[in-house]
Amino acid sequence: MLIRKRSTIAVLMVLALSLMICSSAFAADKVIKIGALFPLTGPAAVSGQNCVNSVLAAADVINKANPDINAPLAAKEGLLNGYKIEIVKADHQGKPDVAKSEAERLYNQEKVFAVIGSYNSSATKPASAVAERAKKIFMCGCSSSAALTERDYKYFFRHAPTDAIESKEFVEYIEYLNKEKKAGIKTLGLIYENTEFGKHAAEEAHKAAKHSGLKVVADVPFNNGATNLNSEVQTLKAANPDAVFGAALGGDYSLWVRTMKQVNWLPKIAINYCTGYQNPAVQKELAGDGDYFMGGMGYSPELAKTFMPEAIKIEKKYYTPRSNQPFDSDSIQEGVMLFVLAQAIEKAGSLDTEKVAQILRTEEFPSVMSLSGKVKFEPGGQNVHALSVITQIKDLDYKTVFPLKYQKAEPVFPMTPWDKR
Amino acid sequence: MSNFVQVLIDGILSGLLYALVSAGLSMMWGVMDVINFAHGEFLMVAMYLCYWIGEILGIDPLFSWIAGGIFLFIIGALTYKLIIKNSLGKAAMAPLLATFGLSMLLKNFCMNRFTPNFRLLSGTIMEGKTFEFAGAIVSVPQLVTAIFSLAVLLSVYWLIKKTRVGWAIQATAMDKEAAELMGIDTENIYLLVFGIGGACVGVAGGLMTTYLAVHPEVGGLFSLIAFVVVALGGFGSIPGALFAALLIGLVESFAGFYIAAVVKYVAVFAIYLVVILIRPKGLFGW
Amino acid sequence: MFKNKADKLWYGFIAVAFILPFVPGVIGGSFFGHVATMILLYAAMAQSWNIISGYCGQTSFGHSVFFGIGAYGAALAVVNFNSLPWYGAPLGMLAAAAVSVVISYPCFKLKGHYFAIATFAIVEIFNRLFMIWDTIGGALGLDYPILPDGWKNFSWSDTKNGYYLGALAIFILVFSVVRWIERHRMGYYLRAVREGQETAESLGVNSAVVKLSAMALSASLAALCGAFFAQYNYRVDPPMVMSLDMSMKFVLITILGGIGTFWGPFLGALVLIPLQEYTRAYLSHLGAGVDLMIFGLIIIIVMIKQPLGIMGLIRYFTKRKVAKGEGDA
Repeated sequence: MLIRKRSTIAVLMVLALSLMICSSAFAADKVIKIGALFPLTGPAAVSGQNCVNSVLAAADVINKANPDINAPLAAKEGLLNGYKIEIVKADHQGKPDVAKSEAERLYNQEKVFAVIGSYNSSATKPASAVAERAKKIFMCGCSSSAALTERDYKYFFRHAPTDAIESKEFVEYIEYLNKEKKAGIKTLGLIYENTEFGKHAAEEAHKAAKHSGLKVVADVPFNNGATNLNSEVQTLKAANPDAVFGAALGGDYSLWVRTMKQVNWLPKIAINYCTGYQNPAVQKELAGDGDYFMGGMGYSPELAKTFMPEAIKIEKKYYTPRSNQPFDSDSIQEGVMLFVLAQAIEKAGSLDTEKVAQILRTEEFPSVMSLSGKVKFEPGGQNVHALSVITQIKDLDYKTVFPLKYQKAEPVFPMTPWDKR
Repeated sequence: MSNFVQVLIDGILSGLLYALVSAGLSMMWGVMDVINFAHGEFLMVAMYLCYWIGEILGIDPLFSWIAGGIFLFIIGALTYKLIIKNSLGKAAMAPLLATFGLSMLLKNFCMNRFTPNFRLLSGTIMEGKTFEFAGAIVSVPQLVTAIFSLAVLLSVYWLIKKTRVGWAIQATAMDKEAAELMGIDTENIYLLVFGIGGACVGVAGGLMTTYLAVHPEVGGLFSLIAFVVVALGGFGSIPGALFAALLIGLVESFAGFYIAAVVKYVAVFAIYLVVILIRPKGLFGW
Repeated sequence: MFKNKADKLWYGFIAVAFILPFVPGVIGGSFFGHVATMILLYAAMAQSWNIISGYCGQTSFGHSVFFGIGAYGAALAVVNFNSLPWYGAPLGMLAAAAVSVVISYPCFKLKGHYFAIATFAIVEIFNRLFMIWDTIGGALGLDYPILPDGWKNFSWSDTKNGYYLGALAIFILVFSVVRWIERHRMGYYLRAVREGQETAESLGVNSAVVKLSAMALSASLAALCGAFFAQYNYRVDPPMVMSLDMSMKFVLITILGGIGTFWGPFLGALVLIPLQEYTRAYLSHLGAGVDLMIFGLIIIIVMIKQPLGIMGLIRYFTKRKVAKGEGDA
């Protein structure tokens, strides 16, 4: 009987082993494989899927002949005289450990040339550490943690403005309002989800506020996915700050806005980091309640009309058919990173990681999908032309209010109280 | 002072909501000694149902909670028939783990079908309605949910204590074999208990769609709090659940405002541990 | 040389597992190497849980707390103190054992589901406290700097062989402890407590001491696995290691394989981990969450059909053959 038992175990083991080894790898000529590592499932899946669609749209622009689009590499098919880009999708579920092992699989097993990713800063960190150790390129579109580019990595490049840049801009805007509009904003409240993202944003907000003499009177981290935000908003209301910086994603954002309405309180001005504010779907569900809030943005349809006409073409032709919505400021930057990488490969003339990385470190690239129109990385990988504008929403329309260069509308200030809407 | 009243009212209102969410779980546990791990996902399913009814048919959650209750009655009964019945008595934690599997299945099914987007009904009848009371602001949807909670708890309590079916349920809970000897069809009783348990959480989910966004992960924290409420209240005791839920709501609200918002759930779970270590069978347990 | 067939199976398995990384191309930097390492790690984790929950009958959903303490032990040593994980890991194990005793002493008074829910609450409390404890990274977590490869830092970038051997060492340690327990008086004590505390007491077994020592042992082994996990991922944060999801992994793997059996945790990991890794890698294009739906369905089916898991299945087949007279070797 023991032998039987043992042989059954042995058969099971062999079966399992053979199943594992049967993973196939197809190799085709003239293909450059690029990994797209995003949270395709889990809490951040919507954003992750948008990001992948943006990368796929960019790949289509490069791979197909698009004489109608005036962008580098768009006109003819492929790059490097006929190479096509193939995107290998991977899902990290928003978990750092999965991001790390999927990054390894992409580089080692799928043999990708570079990886674009990974939305959540906490996933980008270990995934890019894999790349750095293996001396492979990691392109990061929209993860905003300032710590990412303070690690002095040599193969890491990031397009988005960091929390630090955004915080400074928010405070500059408040200084402008105080000076030009006699706004009298002296105190600041912070409300943010107690996660990697929210915590980073809050730290940078503290630094920026200290620099300009704003007093932080309320610092309210909350647990994301909370059942209610009553105590959080009540704490804010009790401290009654003039301005509030918010970092609440998706459902937490709408819960926060609705709870403020419920307790009938508003600060003079509320500015959001890259959060639920920028999500048109969330704003639609909030209906009028989301109006007059502000937030940092790298893209809006209105901005695109004036400053990025080619991006709208790309959006119409390749992005919207995939995702049924316009670009948003997160996803568009992932597509940008593929364009930048492809231009660097084209310039290097070969698939030599060292050469391409060197070009990425030194050259400046034109970019039709960036607000500033160009991309250049400083040591550490931060895009020096990273730019975000402050917008204010009214009737589902994001109107740019700052910097003045991009201003489209005068801000409604202070925010219209709930009972006057 | 107005802060204090506000925090007190917030605590009571969310406590009553937790009571409504926990009532069903309390029954299942009390009668069958089964923990339904998919309880939070039941809540999520009800919320999705009422969301879509509101979105597509334009029926307000103020009415569509009935559909939520009926649908979850069926889901609850099916869960019993297909999963609980077959795993009961096989291994110590088998029903718990089987329903954990069910929760994964439901959560990811909704993620797959409805995307993980947050969905919030707008323009509902009670949306944003508030009134002032003793210097504090009371939200009408939360107040209505709280009233429903009391009504549902009272009717379940009445059902168990005053009706023949209720006596049969009590008999089954005390001693299954003896109840069978007395001619009670314990199979049907179990089915009924799971159905009613589902219906309670269905009603809760339906009403919550007015003020809480629905997404596939929405049930997670609610089910944890429901576990704590039920264990704190004591083995299947409806008054116990009500009392425990109020305690949890108040602790959450007061700790959230007077200590720090970020520790409110720490306080909730800590108070549970403290009480349960003093009274290992819960406040009203025997 | 070996006393019996169980020994032969065990030593044979170790020999084969040990040789794998020395066969070129099997482990190396491959995805298979990652999966094999994870199988060994999760098997060891599940086995550590099996000590207290399988052999001693105290179903704990709180093992991610101990796992997390171990992970933080190693990561704090490396990140905050510029030291080596070799010092952090044993300290983490000690801390986990101490914490487990402090927590369990009162909680062991609770019965059945009351105990289970108390362990849920403990995970939530630890998770949320670690999220706001800024000296150890708080919500930001701890990120490893890039260190030279090798055993000194227990860190490799181009090959998985080191990690694989490390995981194998942990696997052998944990499984050997359980082998020892199974044959030693301790094993009888544990089973006696599982079968009935009162009876065990009447036989002169001090059930409180037995349960606490089993818990401390189980917690420190879980912490060792946690230290490995931090080293492997170059990062630790509370949701990654100290969450209900992680706790459930301890439970599900053991239950699927066969709770209270020696090979159960390994068989569970052998099935669940490849399923998880390969469905994610090769099936996620089917649409969001399909892999996890399959996962949930498998758990339901196992619980309904065969609560003793894969070991139950194996026993069922071997017994049936015996009954048919097809041969007892």
